[in-house]
Amino acid sequence: MRGGSVGRGKNSAGGRSEAGLSTQQVPGNSRLKETRGGAFSEFTAIDRKSINFDRNAVCNGSPASGQSRSPDFAASYRYWQQSTSQHHAASNFVMPALSPTMTEGNIASWKIKEGDSFAPGDVLLEIETDKATMDVEAQDEGVLAKIMQQDGTKAIKVGARIAVLADTDDDLSSLEIPAEEQPTPESKPAESSSDKPSASNSSSSSQPQSSAPPKPAKKPSTAPPGEGKIQTYPLYPSVQMLLHQKGLSTEDANKIPASGPSGRLLKGDVLAYLGEIESNYAAEQSKRITDLGHLDLSNIKLAAPKKAAAEDKKAEGKQEAVPEPDLEVAIPVSLTAVYEAQERLQEALGMSLPLSTFIARASEIANEKLPRAKGPASADELFDSVLGLKTPKKTSRGSYTPHVTMMGPVTPAARLTKAMDIIDVLAGSSKAAPRPVRSGAIGVGSWDGENIFSLSVKKGEERRARVYLERVKTVLESEPGRCVL
Amino acid sequence: MFKALAPRAARPPTLRSLSARPSKLFQTISPLLAGRISRGYATESEEKDLVIIGGGVAGYVAAIKAGQEGLKVACIEKRGALGGTCLNVGCIPSKSLLNNSHLYHQILHDTKNRGIDVGEVKLNLAQMMKAKDTSVSGLTKGVEFLFKKNNVEYIKGTGAFADEHTIKVNLVDGGETHVRGKNIFIATGSESTPFPGLEVDEKKVITSTGALALKEVPKKMAVIGGGIIGLEMASVWSRLGAEVTVVEFLGQIGGPGMDAEVAKQAQKLLTKQGLKFKLNTKVTAGDAGGEGVKLSLEAAKGGKEETLDSDIVLVAIGRRAYTSGLGLEAIGLETDDRGRLVIDQEYRTKLPHIRVIGDCTFGPMLAHKAEEEAYAAVEFLTKNYGHVNYNAIPSVMYTHPEVAWVGQNEQELKKEGINYKVGSFPFSANSRAKTNLDTDGMVKFLADAETDRILGVHIIGANAGEMIAEGTLALEYGASTEDVARTCHAHPTLAEAFKEAAMSTYSKAIHY
Repeated sequence: MRGGSVGRGKNSAGGRSEAGLSTQQVPGNSRLKETRGGAFSEFTAIDRKSINFDRNAVCNGSPASGQSRSPDFAASYRYWQQSTSQHHAASNFVMPALSPTMTEGNIASWKIKEGDSFAPGDVLLEIETDKATMDVEAQDEGVLAKIMQQDGTKAIKVGARIAVLADTDDDLSSLEIPAEEQPTPESKPAESSSDKPSASNSSSSSQPQSSAPPKPAKKPSTAPPGEGKIQTYPLYPSVQMLLHQKGLSTEDANKIPASGPSGRLLKGDVLAYLGEIESNYAAEQSKRITDLGHLDLSNIKLAAPKKAAAEDKKAEGKQEAVPEPDLEVAIPVSLTAVYEAQERLQEALGMSLPLSTFIARASEIANEKLPRAKGPASADELFDSVLGLKTPKKTSRGSYTPHVTMMGPVTPAARLTKAMDIIDVLAGSSKAAPRPVRSGAIGVGSWDGENIFSLSVKKGEERRARVYLERVKTVLESEPGRCVL
Repeated sequence: MFKALAPRAARPPTLRSLSARPSKLFQTISPLLAGRISRGYATESEEKDLVIIGGGVAGYVAAIKAGQEGLKVACIEKRGALGGTCLNVGCIPSKSLLNNSHLYHQILHDTKNRGIDVGEVKLNLAQMMKAKDTSVSGLTKGVEFLFKKNNVEYIKGTGAFADEHTIKVNLVDGGETHVRGKNIFIATGSESTPFPGLEVDEKKVITSTGALALKEVPKKMAVIGGGIIGLEMASVWSRLGAEVTVVEFLGQIGGPGMDAEVAKQAQKLLTKQGLKFKLNTKVTAGDAGGEGVKLSLEAAKGGKEETLDSDIVLVAIGRRAYTSGLGLEAIGLETDDRGRLVIDQEYRTKLPHIRVIGDCTFGPMLAHKAEEEAYAAVEFLTKNYGHVNYNAIPSVMYTHPEVAWVGQNEQELKKEGINYKVGSFPFSANSRAKTNLDTDGMVKFLADAETDRILGVHIIGANAGEMIAEGTLALEYGASTEDVARTCHAHPTLAEAFKEAAMSTYSKAIHY
């Protein structure tokens, strides 16, 4: 008798006031699991005095206990409750929260047996937490109807049922065992019903902590489908109507398996509960509708790899326009000036700058503000013109890189032949790809540092490509210095 | 023979290996030159929590939501205007034209019996278009303002994947930049599906985009596709004086989602307004070579052939996911056979930090669906859970009367073999509709025969698009028709018809 006994005096005072709150309801304590299971399909209404038990425990949220974790101080706390409902034969006794941080505990031992009666102050059981072992005392009189968690059970969550208590004058043999309640969300002070005004006690109902459940109980209830759920929202009008018609109370609504979104109770659930439609119909319907609520990602046919797709299209017929073959735009460029610049650089700075750098730099300069390609306006341009957003730009930055065919003195003939082959393939059936005369420039005479810079472009882009190449040529032939500075 | 390299901006090291192999020569580049070459490129910014490709409804909503959630977010849009198809060339401008053309049509035809004598009525199409543009630009600027307000970096350019975390952006104003994102959303939307054999020039052969910007009212207009977009555009130009023929392959207008009974009624009402319909008809060929456009038609099941001449052909056969140029191959993202990016229920691709929302993935191509997904996808990032109920996404056709629905239709329920009951209420029995002299249409409920749970709501009537919100809410909450019927509705309103239809489903309507 450690903590419990010390706190006893204070505790009993609190307990009395708590006992007065017998009419206060916490939703959820009234569900009868057995009713669903069918074992106790008929529940008898036992007219009995409500009982209330308080116990000494430090309770989170209690102004009296504050943040004190001292087990010495035991604020009164109702950890099991009895509803006023006539249908309730007994009350659940749940694992109490003995400290603000406690989330689970072990049952060290029960101090009384099933069937034993107890009086306020009697020690009911001993609970181990990670911090200490504490006795739990009764605050009111009653009978221990059934022990649900035997001695030595470990890690019982706060709020989980450990026993069932009954009133002293109950007949235990015919006693209904209430369903285990889910940890309940906050019960509202407003729920202190006026059914039994004589029992209401203003002093304790004004204490918010008196109705506050232990902290862990604030977790939203996650009853699996098919189980009842405390209806924390207003009941739907159709449900209210049905309940009234069938003489069910709103507490009964909490026992009905709810299949609606977020566990809401639907008309169909009540009908199923009443047996007016098949018992699992509502749940199955909800499952079907929930499935409809998700994207159907079954039977996704992945796109075939690109090549195969192209072949498919060919096979299908000529509906797809045959893509215009790319055109080849080429221009001879003399690199003599570049070589000279390289030499000068070598002499002046002792630094060698590779040819590719010159070309890359020239390409960068040439890509600036190229005239736009002709051809059908792009979707974006149509879009912009439709909106009247802006006049389409006349120029844009290109992203060309020249294809350089080196006509070095090494093997000009071989390279040329090869290049011609490719061009032939590329040009295919296309109309007159603007190809510069090159035979004269290449085939004969000594090599003068001239190379073929070419681009493979879509139809309509010839002008753009040509401007680009001309610029490259200008930079490389007349002002290679721009590539250095 | 070698390929010279275009200069490249300094990039993260991972990238270097992916980019075209630099030539050996190129690597000996002088420091002097290195600085020179990177000129013209925006500097690389720090890594974002979220980079969104696409500033349409999905993209911009996700961007704003992510900004509100405190993420560092950038949104890439290439069009120079936010809001995507919906705001710029879709929902919004079409509603402007639909509303104003309806007003024009009503003033022409429906004033006398109301006691209003109107003088000469003239159409000023240019002004009507200007009114539309004003609405559009006001809204797109509004979104831009919201970006600033919620600290969203707005990058104007075309994005493409450089690697799994990096997007290369070709900026609209020239140059390019790279953005890195811990998470990336693809929200590139959709485009009109082209009709094989007819090249869209947006002048004679147009899509919805061109249909919103015609310079004059065509004399004859053919519409391929009798879905929502086709019928809305057909309505606009028919009201303004065009002779419009709608060719639809299926046996009903409005697309497969519309309830057959409602579709039939809509067709009847639209026919009365002057639209012509050719259902169960396919277009076999089109020729835009001459003055106008010639379409060859054939009965869908074969047989009867005919030709249809018109000045303008609107291609409205649907939309398809738009992902070209994104560089999906570079990171190995998969699309399905219709080009939609493959995702899981949380919008993740097989690279879990890349999610896809909106039209470029699965589900109905609707702006409000995209918006829901945007919101949910951001919440999956920040809260690990997002909510979209695909069974409660309403569809609306803004013709007159409007058609709106949510949930399943009768065809679908029959196909699934579900035991359902129907309740409906005509607007001709509704007091407000009577006083408006606008009594076409009805409200129709489909509810489960056993549980009374609402399975679908279908409305055709003047205010259907607004009224469907109540049906959507009811569906979201799993309500029964009795729940709706027992909820008070103001009198006299069109919404009373909604309530009475619910009453007639679970019990009996009072006023019919």
